[in-house]
Amino acid sequence: MLASLQHFLTFCRNRLRNVFVAQRPTLPEPATIPKAYRRLERIVLTDGVVRTLFDDFDRHRETARGEEEFGWVLLGVREEAEAIVLAVLPAGAQRHASLTHIQFHSNAQTVATRLLRQTDKRLAMLGVAHTHPGSMRHPSSGDYRGDIQFVARLRGREGIFAIGTADASFPETVTSSEPHRHGRGSLCMTWYALAEGDPQYRKIPIATIAGDDLAHPLASVWPTLETHADGLERLCQQLSGGQLSSAGQAFSFAVPLADDPRRLRVLLEGPQIRYYVEDEGNLLVVDPEAVTLEHGVYAILAELARRRSPDAAL
Amino acid sequence: MDFRPLDPNERQKLIDALRGNVNSSQAILTNPRDTSFAGASDEISDDEVISAIKSVPVHYVA
Repeated sequence: MLASLQHFLTFCRNRLRNVFVAQRPTLPEPATIPKAYRRLERIVLTDGVVRTLFDDFDRHRETARGEEEFGWVLLGVREEAEAIVLAVLPAGAQRHASLTHIQFHSNAQTVATRLLRQTDKRLAMLGVAHTHPGSMRHPSSGDYRGDIQFVARLRGREGIFAIGTADASFPETVTSSEPHRHGRGSLCMTWYALAEGDPQYRKIPIATIAGDDLAHPLASVWPTLETHADGLERLCQQLSGGQLSSAGQAFSFAVPLADDPRRLRVLLEGPQIRYYVEDEGNLLVVDPEAVTLEHGVYAILAELARRRSPDAAL
Repeated sequence: MDFRPLDPNERQKLIDALRGNVNSSQAILTNPRDTSFAGASDEISDDEVISAIKSVPVHYVA
């Protein structure tokens, strides 16, 4: 009786496999239609992104380094013919800059990008915005020499670029004066696109939609992030499965332990570094007596590995 | 065994996916049950994004 039942079940399973697997069409309707990138026709900015750009620009001009150039990395989604900017990451206090140049603190931007991409892997690098002194509202020849190489790394081999200047007289709410230009008060942003092989930048229209700047919650934690960015970036590269998070002015990095329900968590706030092991609801504070963030993480991982050894009790 | 030729729509989608893979490392998805073509992923690898951010050039007025 049991053998007959097993035989019947095997027969049914094979029939179902034939119906649902072997006789499936070889090319089902694709789940996602592949993108065929064309030349960008417009840039879409969320109003949160626009607000961040003008607010940051305003604040920067009030600082002791306000005469220097400033800038942002632009993150978002590259559609076939438009770039949708969803987040902007500032150049940071550890930028190298002067009246005539700017180099971003890229490790802070990469760690922030890793955090944002934990929830949306579509986020891509779209381009760069930076400010110019005086009324130079277009990219310089020096900008072009770098950007024409850089755009080959971007989706569609094309990037978007904005130049900010403080030479305008717009209303106190963001207003467009031309399709590729908008401003607020004395501040002005002018937008361009550049594709691989282009002899020059071209003006590109902008549109604004309702939405947040996804990076805005990181603004309050940015000084902490910059303080530890180099160590965090190396840890992200070396340890798989690390989770980044932020709350208020604190930044956290958690690493799951292999074959172990516990996690090592590092909490960063300003220059302070605190280490914890999370063990099924219990939180153990650890002092690894470390001199750097990386030293502390690896010292704790080494100690946990030692305790897993069969000889650990000796 | 099915040797059905692709219809023009399917053929174009497969070509676009292959082109996206060559030009910009766009992932090609396969059906895990029978390895058939299942579209292309919108997702972008961390490496691609991070390396682009690290290669932002110095911008200077010259």
